[in-house]
Amino acid sequence: MLEVEGLVAGYAGTPILRDISLRLDRGETVGLLGANNAGKTTLINSLSGIVTPMAGRIIFDGRDVTRATPMQRVEMGIIQVPEGRLVFPEMSVRENLLLGGFCDRARPLRPRQMEKVLALFPRLKERLSQPAGTLSGGEQQMLAIGRGLMAEARVLMLDEPSLGLSPLFVQYIFGIVDQLHKDGLTMLLVEQNLNLTLRHAQRCYVLERGHIAVEGAAEVVKNDPRTRQAYLGL
Amino acid sequence: MIKDDFFKTLASPWLWGIVLLGAMLPMVLSSYYTHILTIALVYVALASAWNIVGGMSGQISLAHSLFIGTGAMLSAALLVKLGINMWAGLVIAAATAGLLGAIIAWIDFRFQLGHLSFVLITLAFAEMASIVVEGWDFLGGASGLLLPQDTGNFLDFQFGGGRGAFWVMLGLATIIVLVNVAILNSPLGYYLRTIRDNEKAAQAIGVNVLRQKTTAMVISAVLTSIVGTAYVRYLTFADPYLLASPVITIEIVLFATVGGLGRAYGPALGALLLVPLGEVLRGKLGGAVPGLHYFIYGIVVIVVILATPSGLLPLFERLFWRRSRMLPKI
Amino acid sequence: MSELWQALAQGVFIGSTYGLLALGMGLVYGVSGVVNFAHGDFISLAMFMCLALFSAFSLDPYVSVLITIPVMTAIGALVYRFLLRPMVGYKFLMVVQLTLGLSLVLQNGILMIFGGQPARTPSIVESKLIILGDVVLRLAHVIACAVAFAMAIGLYVMLRSTDFGRSIRAVHQNAHAAALMGIDVGRVQVMTFALGIGILAVAAALLLPGTPIQPTQGLQYTVITLLVVVLGGMTNFVGIMLGGLVIGISEAMGTVYVSDTLGRLVPYAIFVLIMLFRPQGLTWRAS
Repeated sequence: MLEVEGLVAGYAGTPILRDISLRLDRGETVGLLGANNAGKTTLINSLSGIVTPMAGRIIFDGRDVTRATPMQRVEMGIIQVPEGRLVFPEMSVRENLLLGGFCDRARPLRPRQMEKVLALFPRLKERLSQPAGTLSGGEQQMLAIGRGLMAEARVLMLDEPSLGLSPLFVQYIFGIVDQLHKDGLTMLLVEQNLNLTLRHAQRCYVLERGHIAVEGAAEVVKNDPRTRQAYLGL
Repeated sequence: MIKDDFFKTLASPWLWGIVLLGAMLPMVLSSYYTHILTIALVYVALASAWNIVGGMSGQISLAHSLFIGTGAMLSAALLVKLGINMWAGLVIAAATAGLLGAIIAWIDFRFQLGHLSFVLITLAFAEMASIVVEGWDFLGGASGLLLPQDTGNFLDFQFGGGRGAFWVMLGLATIIVLVNVAILNSPLGYYLRTIRDNEKAAQAIGVNVLRQKTTAMVISAVLTSIVGTAYVRYLTFADPYLLASPVITIEIVLFATVGGLGRAYGPALGALLLVPLGEVLRGKLGGAVPGLHYFIYGIVVIVVILATPSGLLPLFERLFWRRSRMLPKI
Repeated sequence: MSELWQALAQGVFIGSTYGLLALGMGLVYGVSGVVNFAHGDFISLAMFMCLALFSAFSLDPYVSVLITIPVMTAIGALVYRFLLRPMVGYKFLMVVQLTLGLSLVLQNGILMIFGGQPARTPSIVESKLIILGDVVLRLAHVIACAVAFAMAIGLYVMLRSTDFGRSIRAVHQNAHAAALMGIDVGRVQVMTFALGIGILAVAAALLLPGTPIQPTQGLQYTVITLLVVVLGGMTNFVGIMLGGLVIGISEAMGTVYVSDTLGRLVPYAIFVLIMLFRPQGLTWRAS
């Protein structure tokens, strides 16, 4: 469904990612692992169109989207749930969700989609008119995911969803990930938390200093000694 | 303290050649063109003095009309109203301007003003100053002050107008540009640039931000005030709408930007290019098309900022000065 | 006593228009971080357009507005697209200088076309008065106040409850996240700037009756607008309208109760004090 070939990307002319190739199949949950500074966020931002690739191709549904703008990608259904949630703090939960469904494709479907999201996160229903900035970290993460789902995501990319959350909330969020997977959503889980991701993804890629060090089924990645090496930076 | 580059510049035959050649211009030019060049030199001096604050430490001060106004209106008022010799007036005005500069620098530091706040507060000070000047009879009020005829009596700060004024302005402009060179080659210049690039980091490495900023502001204010006094002597008429209005600061800022902010010769270049152009246009077409010269300044500024945001000086260097080493690269 | 009410009423009426002027600037600052020092010259431009329309077709400013709004909006869009947008990523100060240059161009462009003499644009409401007890109100001021508040409320509702309004607020609160929502941040910035300039067309028509205009007035309007925006806390909608009232009233009170010179100093003094001691503006915000 989403394919990356030989991607080189970075900032201000300095490549951070070197020759990245990966693939997401329909309905799959794929983990993208790596230590800090491995290039995970650069990769997800290249997929969202925030970072323009220097070389390589990104193909979505058979179409070359390498040069597509962030807006065009959202329109196609490539949705990112950013690291640190980035909810709109001075807007209500409801308004945040409405903004999630801002793109032309999702806009007419907002009422239906809103119901779905609120059924998935009953906590948000209670807080609909509260400013998003007053929510707890876990609630903000729910809102960020809900906001992503409002866009009728075809590929949902979650950047560090467990960051800064209590273990209880982490469990809850990953429960939601499992549920979305059961519903057939294609997801990319960008995470630092190795064991957690290996449990919830079918396949994984391990990034190490801008290139893919290990890839394969979760079991394979788990047992590959290079995975630990990539993490420890050996 | 001051790096050798400054002394190299001081000893440079190029510099003195240009200044000497400039000094001979009034001998060959008509009084009209001498007048235009005198005005251009006033702005060279003002823009270069402003550059010490606006260019080097990156604070866009719109308060400089306050200093020009102090130098011009206060010294004129002291002479006309109290009969105080203009040399003394020059010193009193310069000291007042320096004090005002120190106060502004202190406020900036004490309240940790951001760039925007600094622009706005200095603009508010400038507006207040122009209201005070227009409303206070001692400083001439809205009708301004007429100075006694310039008879060329040096002891009364008179230079005989025309050529005499030109040479005074040339001297002032040269000194202020050299002050720029000296500061850029001294620890102060280094500190100011550090502050401009990152004030927090400058503080963290032990730069006394208050002291450096205050020093820069006071030097700039004193020099600006002195130019103000000389300018009003040349004009003979202390016009509050020219000398104490924020518009003059905006002109200065734009000349400095067009030439190249923070560079020793940038503001001078900007003023030397734009003022004669503007004055000639005003002289030839001012009656028929008022405002044309400002209109053209505006267009030039926009085009320069969009096309070469670091100003015209780097462009000129590439064109003319590539091979020669007559001026240090600062 | 009647003097007090008179000054108060006048202050409120003028202040509400100041508030409207400042809303445009606040919106633009919130969305693109641009402080437009040519703001007042755009007001001038709109006023002189009304004058030209009166000279050519004897149109009342209240009618001319139907023409000046779309024209000013289009000018705003073009200026942002071709002059300000290329400055994205530059130092803030370069943008300030660019708008100062723009101010010179506008002010003197107007001067070249219309000359420097103060001019008036007649309007049917110009000399109409409303008398309430001791207080004499000019109809033009009452209309200005009503329209300014109506527009402010309209803008507020637009920001709160339309998708365009929400996209403006989203870009203000987090431009990166807004882009991830599929919002075209550049387009929102252009449209907000155009909106801010379009509002000025209305404000210009409201200020015109009875007010002499001259090309050099732009900077004063810019400064008043800046005062109001800063008082309001830069991007706080209610704060900005409140700031407009404070400036309007202090100006009116100042000229009535203190000497003219001191009266004119009052707003600036208030401004400097607020800048120094309450840089977040007058209103309190739940942080």
